[in-house]
Order: sequence, then C-alpha cells, then structure tokens
Amino acid sequence: MFSISKDFAPPLKMIEPFFKFGSIIYLISTFALLFLNSNSNLNDLNIVGWAHLFLLGFVMIVIFGAMAQLVPVVLEVGHFSVDLYYIIFPALAIGSILMVVGFWFAPAVLPYGGLLVLVAMSVFLFETLMTLKKAESNTLTVKCVKAGNIFLTIAIVIGFFMALAIGAGVNVDLGRFLPIHIVLVLFGYVTITVIGLSMILLPMFGLAHGYDDSDVERAFKIVVGSIIVFSIATLFKLTYIADISLLGIGVGIIFYLKQVVTLYKIRARKLLDIWYKHIYVAFISLGLSLFFGILWLFFDFENGLKVAVWLIVMGFITFVINGHLLKIIPFLVWFERFSELVGKKKVPMLHEMLPDREIEYSFWLSMSGLTIGAVGLLIGSDDIFKGGVVLLAIGAIFMVQTVFYILNFKVED
Amino acid sequence: MCNVTEKQVYDELRTIIDPEVGFNLVEMGLIYNVAIDDDCNVKITMTLSTRACPLHQMITQWVEDAPKRIDGVNNVEVEVVWDPEWNISMAEDNVKQALGAL
Repeated sequence: MFSISKDFAPPLKMIEPFFKFGSIIYLISTFALLFLNSNSNLNDLNIVGWAHLFLLGFVMIVIFGAMAQLVPVVLEVGHFSVDLYYIIFPALAIGSILMVVGFWFAPAVLPYGGLLVLVAMSVFLFETLMTLKKAESNTLTVKCVKAGNIFLTIAIVIGFFMALAIGAGVNVDLGRFLPIHIVLVLFGYVTITVIGLSMILLPMFGLAHGYDDSDVERAFKIVVGSIIVFSIATLFKLTYIADISLLGIGVGIIFYLKQVVTLYKIRARKLLDIWYKHIYVAFISLGLSLFFGILWLFFDFENGLKVAVWLIVMGFITFVINGHLLKIIPFLVWFERFSELVGKKKVPMLHEMLPDREIEYSFWLSMSGLTIGAVGLLIGSDDIFKGGVVLLAIGAIFMVQTVFYILNFKVED
Repeated sequence: MCNVTEKQVYDELRTIIDPEVGFNLVEMGLIYNVAIDDDCNVKITMTLSTRACPLHQMITQWVEDAPKRIDGVNNVEVEVVWDPEWNISMAEDNVKQALGAL
C-alpha cells in the first residue's frame, strides 16, 4: 500500500501560488460579472472572456494545484516529476490573463495566451500521464483521471485552433467546434475529474464505509459514452443525436447524484461542518441545473439554459472547489509546518486553522448570491441578477481572506 | 521477562491524534491489537479510517515511535491491515457522540 510521504508530497511553496492566484481570480471574476449583461447571448465575446477568466484562472489553476497533492494519494504512486508544476503555474496564469485580454480588448493577443495555456496544459497532461503509467491500480478514480485528461487534451487543441480563428483569422468553423470545446471542458474534464476525486474525498471526509459503488461506475460509463457521441454528432452536425447525448450526460449525472446520496446516508461523520455545507449547496445546484437544463432541451426555454449554466458553474463547481480548499489548504500547511512536531509539542487540529467567522460570512453571502443570481436569470431581470452578484462578490472577499489566513497560519512558541 | 504492559503502550498511542478528526488513534478504534513478547518486542496491528489516507506513512511512523518512549521496549513492529475494515462502531462512545453518530 503506497502512501504519501515527505518525499512525494509537493512542497507548500510550489502549490501556494496556485491557490493564491486562483482565489484572487475568483474574486475578480465575481466582480467582473457586474459588468456583464445577463441578457447577453452565451456566445457573446464578453461572456466567453469571463468564462475563460473563471475556468482557467480559478477552476483549472486550483484543480491543477490540488492535483499536485491529490495525484499521489488517489493513484497511489509518486509524481513522475512534481517539479514540472513550477512550469505549469506561470504558463497557465499568464496565458489565462492574455486570453481574457484577447477576448475583452485585443483579439490579436488571443493566440499568444492560447499558446501559453496549451503549453501549461500539455506539461500538466504529460506529467499526469507519465504518473498514470506508474499506477498499478485501476480504480474508478484512476479511470476518471485518464478519461478526463484525454478529453482535456482534445479540448485544448480545439480551443487553441479557435483562438487562432478569432485572433489570427484562421478558418475554423466556430459554430461546430465551440459546443464540443465547452462539453469537453465542463463535463469531459471538470465534471469527470470531480466524479473521480469525490469518490476518494467524500468517503474520506464523511467517514463512509462498506458501500456499493455500482451507481458511480454506471455514471462514469454513461457520461463518457455520451460525451464521445456528442462530440462526433456535433462534428457531423447530427443535431438530434447531439441533443440525445446531452440528455445522456444528464442521466449519468443522476446516477452520480444517487451515489452521492448513498454516501451521505451511510456517513459516520454527521456533524454539519463548513465542508458539508459547501457540498450540500454544490450537489443541490447540480441537481437543479439538470432540471433547468432539461427544461431548455425539451421546451427551448433559453433562461433555463442560463440558470443551468449559472448553477453548474457558480453553484456546483465553485462550491465543490471552495469547500475542498477548506480541507486541502489546511492539510498542506499542517503537513509542511506541524507534522514533524507531532509527539514533541501540541499541534493544531486542521479545523483550528480555519477562521470561523470569515468562512461563515463567505458561505452565507455566496449562497445567497448564487440563489438571487439564479432567480434574476430565471425571470430575466438583470437588476436582480446583479444584486446576487454583489453578494457573491462580497462572499468572495471573505473567501480570499480565508485562503490567505490559512496559508499564513502559524502558532506562536 | 518483560515488564512493559499493554496499558503503557496504549497510553502512548493515545498521544497520537488524527489532525483531521481531532481524536487519538485508540479512541478512534484504529488500533486492533498490541502484543508484547518476553523480549519486550512490541507488535501493533492497526488500520486507518480510509485506504487513501494521505498521512498513512506518517501515522504508522508515529505509531512505531510511540512505544519506544517507554523504558525497556526493544523493537516495535507495525502492521497495517484492511480486514476487518474500520467502521464507526469500532470507535469509543465519545468519538461517536462528537461526530454525531450516536
């Protein structure tokens, strides 16, 4: 049985910039929402720019930072070369900023940003795939990491060519490739990665044991199959089949949610801590986004699509990430600063490293903002939507404060 | 003849606290057995609350170090087993109560 040791754990100074940068971009992206019109089309370049700010600058950077720590834990092998993360961070951070500048202000910059992002992700994929080669186990989590990385590879290649099309006039059919790019990133990478990692993290933090995992196995197969069918169908403009495969992704997610409910029911740790609160909001958002997504698919209800996207991005993805940051960052700081002191002097517990007041403010403000924002999108009121965004942005200030508080946590001698 | 007692070993093991849940390994029910032979060699059989525990190696090192603080202890061997799999019923009542499982 492999386990993480000092030799395999990434040094805090390597991972710290991912979380600092990610949380600051999260804050900026919530404020940036104030300058977007919620009645705009989802293809609007301002919205597309915001999506890249949020997904690259916050979601991807935090996931990549977390993967530096989680890969040895979930794959049960050491990194191929963890030092490669020193290249990934600056390339992805600068590339993300350039891409956003490209979308918002200067399209000519877009290919340069795209190239840097391509480099960062290629290095990440190379490192992860080389690490995967060493993995002996083939658990669901390993399968999810493999599938997620293959989808991400295709998504970034497509994304790079789209950046060339917008910034340098290369002839690419954006209408055909944009939906594939979105589905591959949102479901192929982010959702499948969350499914895989959650099957390690949810039982670990909830102390859930002895459960049947057939629902999540089924979810994995259905989501992966549906993404492949969607990509091929969209490529050949088979709209009807593409719509059915979107529904297939929804069915897969329902099985995943069923598995999450099973884990929830059998958990030994029933206390409602801040992590659980985030997880509740995340999964309720995922369920609701499915509901609104189906309304859009069957009844052509465009506001339903906006609410579905809002709930999956600002509800599911954001709350899953922020909730786990409150577990992962204290652990990394504790591991680096206090693990050697165990048995020699009193060391803090992980929950004692959290600023209780700030995380509660962050949670309640963010949750209120998420809800009010969704209502605004549903009834088509930009004013109500912006009201929600203000709360979300203030919540993000407390989140950033929390991240920096934990990273700077020390105990006086 | 060895004068080290199981209670002494368990008392030392109670000083090892899981930083995530805040309870020591003994009250969590993670220590399955402590055996001491005539030469004062200690063998500890234990488990972890999850196979994916990121502190696996450190915790087993702490468990190995703990009995060595007792005068007279010779070698310490730690075996981590997964059968039986740990569950909350193995924990002491104060742990169950604090986690909301009672």
